[in-house]
Amino acid sequence: MSDPAPDPVHPGSRPVPVPSTGRFRAKVWLTWIVLLGLLGFGASRLDLDFALIEQKLPFLLGLHLGPDGFLQGAALTLFVTAASMVAALGLGVVAALGRLSANPVAFALSTFYGSLFRGTPLIVQVLIIYLALPEIGIVLTGLSSGIIALSLNYGAYLAEMIRAGVMSVPPGQREAARALGLAPWLIGWKVVAPQALRVIIPPAGTQFVSMLKDSSLVSLMGLWELNFLAQSYGRASYHYIEMLVTAALIYWLLSLVFELVQFRLERRFGRGVAGSDRRG
Amino acid sequence: MTGCRRLALALALCLSTPAQAGATLDRVRHSGVLTTLVITDYPPFGFINARNELDGFDIDTAEAVASRLGVGLKLANPGWETIVSGRWQGRWDLCVCSMSPTDERAKVLNFPATYYSSPAWLVVNKDEQAIKSIADISGKRVGVGTGSTYEAYVNKTLVIAGGKPLEFPFHDVIVVPGDETVNFRNLALGPGLRLDAIVSDLATAKGNIEATHALKLVGTALYGEPNAVATDKGDPDWDAEVARVIAELEADGTLGRISQKWFGADITRQDE
Repeated sequence: MSDPAPDPVHPGSRPVPVPSTGRFRAKVWLTWIVLLGLLGFGASRLDLDFALIEQKLPFLLGLHLGPDGFLQGAALTLFVTAASMVAALGLGVVAALGRLSANPVAFALSTFYGSLFRGTPLIVQVLIIYLALPEIGIVLTGLSSGIIALSLNYGAYLAEMIRAGVMSVPPGQREAARALGLAPWLIGWKVVAPQALRVIIPPAGTQFVSMLKDSSLVSLMGLWELNFLAQSYGRASYHYIEMLVTAALIYWLLSLVFELVQFRLERRFGRGVAGSDRRG
Repeated sequence: MTGCRRLALALALCLSTPAQAGATLDRVRHSGVLTTLVITDYPPFGFINARNELDGFDIDTAEAVASRLGVGLKLANPGWETIVSGRWQGRWDLCVCSMSPTDERAKVLNFPATYYSSPAWLVVNKDEQAIKSIADISGKRVGVGTGSTYEAYVNKTLVIAGGKPLEFPFHDVIVVPGDETVNFRNLALGPGLRLDAIVSDLATAKGNIEATHALKLVGTALYGEPNAVATDKGDPDWDAEVARVIAELEADGTLGRISQKWFGADITRQDE
């Protein structure tokens, strides 16, 4: 705000290393601080009841176990996200293999799955799995329904990203590895995967950040996760905004941590590629 | 071999319809646990208190029912839409969640006993001048909870199971179904800004009036709304047992004491 000179470079849009990194960084931080200040000023105008936030914060963060003896609040949000993440990755890899397979049944299974779960809203999937499966005798708890729905949904998207990553590896790489007499699994693990991951990790990382937020949908089934507690506390205390703002802040901080991890991974798998260190 | 057989048995149990006669009663007796549905965002009936425990009039009532049955109590809160859609598939035994028995709901749930009655009331912004009674809501935007009896009331479709027919002295109301908490916030913004009025339960309205200092009640009680405990379809023995327990709790004054604790008045007496 204090420096009116327009930035001569538009770093975000250019695939070139930024000149004078130090000055650029300083300006970035300054802008962030100004924006944070504005946001804080806006929040202070809301006349929030901070005593209530202070009272509810340990529960929202999940520092204590819930009345059922299980995780609650942000801890449960992280648990649901982590469990779904692992299962979604597994599903994504299997579905991507099917998508790349020469077997028509495997291909059909994979495309059918992808189309079904990318073509319907997550909130509808969550409710169908929770409410419709019991009709055919499969009675799941809210927790497992939520994890299954998130995994199936995100697995379908990850499959596309993994497929794109694998296809981005030039065929010559595989041919060369075969010519060297490497075993197929070794080609996959040592030649294709490292190069594919470079393409897969940026969009996959974004998916996990959005899964963290989409995990709030499991509150529909009464899981005491972050969004559920914020809604329940907010309504019961007639201080809805306080709880919404607090939940938003916690989600944001968690997302920042996820983004940091993603950034590190991107750097690690982008090693040795021109331009990959430009944000470093 | 036994493992296989046990698996087959478990599968057969899973696939068989859980709601046979006596199934719920058997389950409660054998497990020694009453799994009861409650709501978490409807003070003072059901909410999460400062110690992060479920609390309120409904929860105290559920505890009284469980202890009268001589079993433990397990609370569940899968959300209102899930509760009112019925077909609980043996997941839950009973709902003590301030539900009004309507003809629509009676298609998927049973209502063995009424446990309290609470009047529906019209709420407006404190600066509202034009709306003085329910007859003045014609052509106005009226907020109601989605799927609530209040929504059915302003749509003129409400039939209270076993009650006398209601009058609807208004026309062309713009019904705004939504979240009750959000509706009350919208009405508090100002008269006619987002909403002109809300039809809601008296206890809910009073809580919001105290919290916002921006709302007021108008007119008289619109209709007395009975609230009943609900069960899944298919177990008349269980329904009879629940009805017996509620009747006992009402007769010996237990429900009245719970009501005094939360409202300073007895809302459990049925005044017809």
